[in-house]
Amino acid sequence: MSSMHLMLPEYLLAGFVLLTLVGNMVVGDRVRVASWLGLIGLLSSFVVSASIWSVSLKPAVLLNGGVVVDNYSLLVNLFVLLAGIGAILLGWGETRWGQEFVALVLVSVLGMMILGLAGNTIVLFLGIEVLSLPLYILAASEHTAAGGEAGLKYLLLGAFSSGILLFGLALLYGALGSLSFINFASLTNVGTPMMWAGLSLTLVGIFFKLGIVPFHMWVPDVYEGSPSAVTQLMAFGTKVGAAAILLRFLDFGFYLSPQWWGPALGYLAVLTMIVGNLLALPQTDLKRLLGYSGIGHAGFLLVGVATHSLDGARAMLFYLLPYGFAVLGAFAVLIFVAGNQDSVTLSDLKGLASRRPLMAAFFIIVMLSFAGIPLTGGFVGKFYLLQAALFANQPGLAIGLVVGTLLGLGAYLRPVQALFSPADESRPVPQWTVGGAIVLAVAIIGTIGLGVYPTPIVHMVNQSANFFWLH
Amino acid sequence: MIPVNWVVALAAIIFAIGAIGVMTRRNPLIMFMSAEMMWNAAALAFIAFARQWHSMSGQVMAFLIVGTAAAEVGIGLAIIVTVYHRRHRLDIDEISGMKG
Repeated sequence: MSSMHLMLPEYLLAGFVLLTLVGNMVVGDRVRVASWLGLIGLLSSFVVSASIWSVSLKPAVLLNGGVVVDNYSLLVNLFVLLAGIGAILLGWGETRWGQEFVALVLVSVLGMMILGLAGNTIVLFLGIEVLSLPLYILAASEHTAAGGEAGLKYLLLGAFSSGILLFGLALLYGALGSLSFINFASLTNVGTPMMWAGLSLTLVGIFFKLGIVPFHMWVPDVYEGSPSAVTQLMAFGTKVGAAAILLRFLDFGFYLSPQWWGPALGYLAVLTMIVGNLLALPQTDLKRLLGYSGIGHAGFLLVGVATHSLDGARAMLFYLLPYGFAVLGAFAVLIFVAGNQDSVTLSDLKGLASRRPLMAAFFIIVMLSFAGIPLTGGFVGKFYLLQAALFANQPGLAIGLVVGTLLGLGAYLRPVQALFSPADESRPVPQWTVGGAIVLAVAIIGTIGLGVYPTPIVHMVNQSANFFWLH
Repeated sequence: MIPVNWVVALAAIIFAIGAIGVMTRRNPLIMFMSAEMMWNAAALAFIAFARQWHSMSGQVMAFLIVGTAAAEVGIGLAIIVTVYHRRHRLDIDEISGMKG
């Protein structure tokens, strides 16, 4: 297949970014026209990615090694496009966030797709920036004090972390003389101090984006201040993109030398799982709680990378999907409950069980999936991660995972408990919206489906992750 | 000809100054400027290493860094100006209202 055909999902999305911008200029209901164009763009890119994936192709190295299109990158495409579609539907017809909302979401999704197929550090850097730059604007697009604060914090820490990442990449280039991940593998047998410094700075840069514990302080503030649909995109899409590039970078470039990064990643994973879930316990703002939950889940994802095994890579890739479905569902309910408000506290959830029983039931399912209760996707995902940690003979990771899950259980049961408290009659009854209902329905079907019958998706993930150590 | 190591040392010093600036200063504009300094230090290091390895890819990367930095400055200054319009003060500790 030609490179034009293999990268058609990316080209399509880039074309639809321009179309959406033009759609913003036509007379009439501009936001609606742009939303439809954006949705069609994301859906067509999704369909094309799925159709290329189903023709199980050999990994294709394009653009002088800069881009690797394989089942892994196509699966990442599917995940991030799902997040993008969710963001468009959750923000459907919303004029508060400006006309550019749809176009910026599309650019950001394009950046996440680029991260999935990066084959050298140039594309890694460009992917991270194409992902981040639109998100800075989106984070600041809520016209409140918290919105400006979120945008500013995200911008400053994003620029700071990109600077660290860039200097790390420069040192790696100096130590190894190449920018391509595939060349790294043959050059990293001898560890020079410069390579050490470069690798650690690069990892710090990626950890900032992923929200791993010593580098997580921006996550809750940015999640709280951003518009809810954008927070959903950050929580699901950005995490997929950063995790995908982390796995590709380490398992393509440094798979021969896991002794240099494996232990560090293991300790950080345990720290992140415990601290993230522990800090989620006392939160009263729901978006903030989901922010800390996102930190905790980044730790779970890191377990899969730290085991440095095929099982771990597969478990991590699988875990992204139940986590993403749970995020989609949680934010759909959050937007219903918020109405015209900016934020949702736990007390706003009171009485939902009696006022909107179906909505409350769906919310409970989503929270149980976050916590990892059997019959939900979250349980299957955690089970595979635990299995990978034990197979890799790393009981410390397994213990950290279990402790993190137990702490998380407490954090996720508090919102559920609030659902059954007596309702505050002064608050309006949450109203369904069409876009949110579609997202919630997909999220619930996905969560239950992955929990009851995960085999097809597991098969799909196994096929996508089996290129490691074989190239 | 200046040895490559000197250029890299200069880049490392600029990077350190930028990093310290981001962490110690409280004015968002200065913090943003310091972050841009870190980017430029990386670009300088890339150019130095490109000469050491006689390959063009490092120079390509330096150009891309400069271009992306320009895009980021455009967005960053817009956000900082918006925040300033709302508060008429620029101090990151005063702007910071979300805690916990």
